Amino acid sequence: MNRASRLAALTAAVLLAGVGPATADGEDGDTPNEAGTAFRTATVIDQDQTATAVASAGDYLYWTFPVAAGQTATAEATVTLPDAATRTGPSTWRVDVYDGLRRRQACTEGEQVGTAAENAESVTLSCTVRTVRSWAEPWSDDPLPGAYYLRVTVSELPERDLGLPIDVEVAATVADAGGSADRGGDLATPLLPVGTAGTLATGDAGAGEDGGEEEGPQPYLAALPEPEDGWSGGWWTDRWLWTAGGGVLGGLACAGGYLLARPRRSSGA
Amino acid sequence: MIIRKWSAVALSALFAALMTGFLSTSAVADQSESETEEGPPPRVELVLDVSGSMRERDMSGGQSRIAAAQQSFNEVIDAVPEEVHLGIRTLGAGNPGDDREVGCQDSQQLYPVGQVDRTEARTAVATLRPTTGFTPIGLALRGADEDLGEGPGTRRIVLITDGEDSCGDPDPCVVARELAASGTNLVVDTLGLTLDDAVREQLSCIAEATGGTYTAVQDTDQLTDRLNQLVRRADLPVENPTAVEGAERCEDAPQLGVGVYNDRAEFGQHRFYRVPLTAGQELRASVSVAADRPVDPDYGVLLRAVDEESQELVRGTGAGSGRTDVISTGLRYPLPETEDDEDTEDDRASRVVCLELSSSFSAPDAVERAPGLPVELTVDVVSAPDEPSDLAAFGLARGWVPLLLLTGVGLVVGLAWGLLVRLGIVMGRA
Repeated sequence: MNRASRLAALTAAVLLAGVGPATADGEDGDTPNEAGTAFRTATVIDQDQTATAVASAGDYLYWTFPVAAGQTATAEATVTLPDAATRTGPSTWRVDVYDGLRRRQACTEGEQVGTAAENAESVTLSCTVRTVRSWAEPWSDDPLPGAYYLRVTVSELPERDLGLPIDVEVAATVADAGGSADRGGDLATPLLPVGTAGTLATGDAGAGEDGGEEEGPQPYLAALPEPEDGWSGGWWTDRWLWTAGGGVLGGLACAGGYLLARPRRSSGA
Repeated sequence: MIIRKWSAVALSALFAALMTGFLSTSAVADQSESETEEGPPPRVELVLDVSGSMRERDMSGGQSRIAAAQQSFNEVIDAVPEEVHLGIRTLGAGNPGDDREVGCQDSQQLYPVGQVDRTEARTAVATLRPTTGFTPIGLALRGADEDLGEGPGTRRIVLITDGEDSCGDPDPCVVARELAASGTNLVVDTLGLTLDDAVREQLSCIAEATGGTYTAVQDTDQLTDRLNQLVRRADLPVENPTAVEGAERCEDAPQLGVGVYNDRAEFGQHRFYRVPLTAGQELRASVSVAADRPVDPDYGVLLRAVDEESQELVRGTGAGSGRTDVISTGLRYPLPETEDDEDTEDDRASRVVCLELSSSFSAPDAVERAPGLPVELTVDVVSAPDEPSDLAAFGLARGWVPLLLLTGVGLVVGLAWGLLVRLGIVMGRA
């Protein structure tokens, strides 16, 4: 019963907000076929988009994708290994997720590390990170809206297998965590990676320097597509329905209570 | 007095800037246009080993290594993007015979770094013949670094060889690290045309030292694809970080604005940087320390924001174990808006935050300590977030307990009201 009503509440929420299911995202046909090799050169992918790359065993491959508040992101990677005949032993592969401030985010689900046997053709990895909050105290490492980095690399391999060609396919999917994860507070801007070269302040007056910075073009690295409902997840949450529902029930109960307790003069007449 | 006036001007400018910044935060998506403007051209130099062993016919289809390299070079020359400046250098070019002295000085520029004239470049490639030369990789790397020239813009060297350095001095790996540390943002990618252990070790060491990649090549197609990929990589519109030298103490630290910086930090060294911050702004800093040489398997990084009195404001930590390119962390520190009136604003509003970086990398004794490990630091200053009034969105309730509570309260109120009315009516009748 609990589930059913929650589902009902959610469906109503979706209908009310006029938002369709967020699966059909703007995939414009061309999937990125290169990977970055550092945080700064990470290839941008959109939510639910698949990207591929040809690389060498031992490379560190980076992609970056946007995640909004209230979403739970899952990074998936499939590494197609070189011909088994050229390999000399098993290898261990791993996927790491970092947030826009390059803080490593823990995986709550999925196989973050996978070992490929000597004759295996491929290895599949995945990492689900915690649901992104719209606000967090600066002393916490909680995931915040903005860019997320996905890094795929080999963590252990026989020395002789270094540099052999591999194919990698990655995808970043997001799931809406629902109303229970809708929190208060907002960041002024999402955590986006800075890309412009820095400017050293020579004088000792700091404030003016900062003012100058913000007048220029945005200092951010690459155009990360903004999630459909904005970075903070929008104003809608099914908490409106729950609370309104509570109000309605309270009102009805009030009326009912009044009917029970009111004087019954008209009964006899 | 003048200083006060200036700071007032600066503050009002800042306020205006903040307002515009605030208004344009939604326009983040279309900022990259400015980056595609004509900047310094990305430069790539292909460094090819033409020593005798390149004659060996062990590429796919019985092709000789040199023929495979020539074929790939031609395809790369055809595919090179217009704006990329490409050059070619050979190592071990002459025919010195057994004269080690001469052979180890032999590295020539075959095609100068510049806009590629396809015919000329192809003609130059066609003249390549295996020699009896030595393999002075270190020397060739230095030569290639000079060919690429000074100045901003991407600089990449792609080293293609089938033998390890046969001269020994200078050690190519040390040379690569020196070049990478010289502040010219050089990346060396290496391609090994053989699966030999010594070659692989040396080439992967060179790649690791400069943040490049190592690839073991076995056939011509793979070589071509990889070369094309590496040339394209040079063409990424990524700005080079500004070089900065962190100080030992906060008071001497350089003041950083928004942007990306790089530095070198030796093992066990603390680096300080300063960032000016105004009330209502949030400092966001992230840092990565790269392991560009063999290091011990467990490591960490600590980035602390401290105030002028050395009190810690906030910290970011990262730790790891095993094979890695970098270890990174980040922090954010919002400076809340002061609620004092304007008179005191000058004294309180702006504040300098010190960033203290330390890493716990360690290395075996045999590993060279200098130059220090590459550090990349990004600094961003944005407006601070508002403290949420409630942990839940808009303070709204959710779940069965609040529903029951509201219903219960409604019922009680209804009953009480009914009772009151009954009482009131009774009293009214009386």
